[in-house]
Amino acid sequence: MTVLPKTVVITGATSGIGLATARSLAAQGVNIIGAGRSQSRCVEAEALIRAETPAARVNYFVADLASQRQVRALGSAIRELIQREFGGKLDVLINNAAAVSDWYVATEDGYEMQFAVNHLAGFLLTYELLPLLEMSACARVITVSSGSHYHTRMHWQDLMYRKHYFCLSAYKQSKLANLLFTREFNRRLADVSNIRAYAVDPGLVNTEIGAKGTGGLIQWFWNIRSRSGISPAEAAKTIVYLTAIPDIPQKEAVYWKECRPVEPSQYSKRADAAARLWEISEQLCGIVYTP
Amino acid sequence: MKSYVFISGAAGGLGKAFAAECASRGWNLFLTDVSAGDLSILTSGLVRLYNVEIIYYPCNLTDPASRDELWKIIQQRNLRFHFLINVAGVDFEGPFIERTSAELGTIIRLNIESTVDMTSRALHFRDKTRMLRIINVSSLAGYYPMPVKAIYAASKRFLLDFSLALHHELAESGVTVTVLCPAGMPTTPSAISGIFAQGFMGRITTKNVGYVAAKTIDRALSGRMVYIPGVINRILRFLGGTVPPSLVAYFIGKRWLKIRHKYNGEILKGV
Ligand SMILES: NC(=O)c1ccc[n+]([C@@H]2O[C@H](COP(=O)([O-])OP(=O)(O)OC[C@H]3O[C@@H](n4cnc5c(N)ncnc54)[C@H](OP(=O)(O)O)[C@@H]3O)[C@@H](O)[C@H]2O)c1
Repeated sequence: MTVLPKTVVITGATSGIGLATARSLAAQGVNIIGAGRSQSRCVEAEALIRAETPAARVNYFVADLASQRQVRALGSAIRELIQREFGGKLDVLINNAAAVSDWYVATEDGYEMQFAVNHLAGFLLTYELLPLLEMSACARVITVSSGSHYHTRMHWQDLMYRKHYFCLSAYKQSKLANLLFTREFNRRLADVSNIRAYAVDPGLVNTEIGAKGTGGLIQWFWNIRSRSGISPAEAAKTIVYLTAIPDIPQKEAVYWKECRPVEPSQYSKRADAAARLWEISEQLCGIVYTP
Repeated sequence: MKSYVFISGAAGGLGKAFAAECASRGWNLFLTDVSAGDLSILTSGLVRLYNVEIIYYPCNLTDPASRDELWKIIQQRNLRFHFLINVAGVDFEGPFIERTSAELGTIIRLNIESTVDMTSRALHFRDKTRMLRIINVSSLAGYYPMPVKAIYAASKRFLLDFSLALHHELAESGVTVTVLCPAGMPTTPSAISGIFAQGFMGRITTKNVGYVAAKTIDRALSGRMVYIPGVINRILRFLGGTVPPSLVAYFIGKRWLKIRHKYNGEILKGV
């Protein structure tokens, strides 16, 4: 590979697919800026990568992405680091962090937790890092979505599932939101900037995501189901591919799986839904994207 | 005149759910809790989401001087209320003998004294042009004497009786009092692990806070006296009512001690 990206930000880089992605990219000589919610897991992940790749440049930051305040603080900590040490330029942002919760939990901002972490945090962090991405010749924003986005729609009348919460419905909607965000990002920014957004379906992966915020039936079901999934390292390949390949063939394809473009759901292609979600997300984060 | 929904304990799990529910109905809010920082973050989040007017003021409700200050501000700003939702409450779970007198005092001052005080004061600051709806948050625990939660359950019993009596006393004056008696509510990580620890029973008696808040407001608007969320919980409450209290206490005591054994006490330390 000729022009490797130099610097990459990965959220949720303390376990599962995010950690595997960080390890693989670090081994290829990419500067890794990881984010996680737990101080100790961040320290462990950093140590693991250094042990595997002694020459790696790795920095982890702790931030709970359920909190917009902490997402903003993460953004500014990353900006500061990149200005100081990496020439003020970010090549790829990987919005990977996500969480599942059995119960409706309101964040400090008063928003439903899965919507906040799985969708809004990435929306806001991308905005926070836009100036750095604009400095790269060919920047990418990769959001880890999921096959769960099929067979669902946006629940506009109660986006936060406040009244009739069901864990999987909220999760599926948040993964659909990842795709709508990616599509709308490109519509608004791809032509006027050097940044292009992609969404990835990692497939069924053997991680603990479905067992962390759950118990009982859902946890049991996930523990059994995830065993038949691929390894995180295998799942990371598509993300690594989209991150590292200099020229993406079919570069306008939005949704990728196994290093190939695949067809996302019909609903995810609805321009009205994408625009509507974008406006709501701007409103909820108190920001206005301007390229 | 603009009137507001007063919510205490607004930054906690159930408080946030009530705040979101009321804001989603287009009502203006007055929020209080201990931390000004938490209130300010929640306020901006809800304003962005629902575009209503929200005022907040921090208060340590266990401290009478802090409560005086809160109501002085309310008086100065000439605020009026059409809803009072007393959510603030606390428990330090675990055997009575392990509780410090400061902890016991806090449960009594917050759950009982402050709720009574807030209710009494809010009556003088009601919006006289409309009904005043009061919601007190008791608990299913309020129906039974509960070993290992003795003071908490007794404080919730107080709120239950207080609310029922007040409901009838104020019936003629355009005020309704609704008492909410939920079982487990998954609002904090420790509450959630507590529910998981109770296994199947914990799970089927648990209701989402968003749902509970929405239904409670509906009940209050129709002047209902008691709301127990969840059919299973209503059945439990009914069955509990047919058994002598000392027997219920015996079974609850055994059950908690078993769970405590199983989890080595770890989930019962502090909420
Ligand atoms: N596993 C699958 O089968 C599958 C399938 C399709 C899509 N996906 C997607 O793949 C992505 C990664 O999932 P995974 O399976 O690798 O799960 P995972 O192992 O649980 O990793 C999720 C990462 O996000 C972090 N995280 C969770 N909540 C956070 C918060 N509030 N603030 C900051 N960080 C937070 C986690 O931190 P901790 O390490 O502290 O937990 C972890 O690093 C997700 O977007 C998921 O939706 C997974």
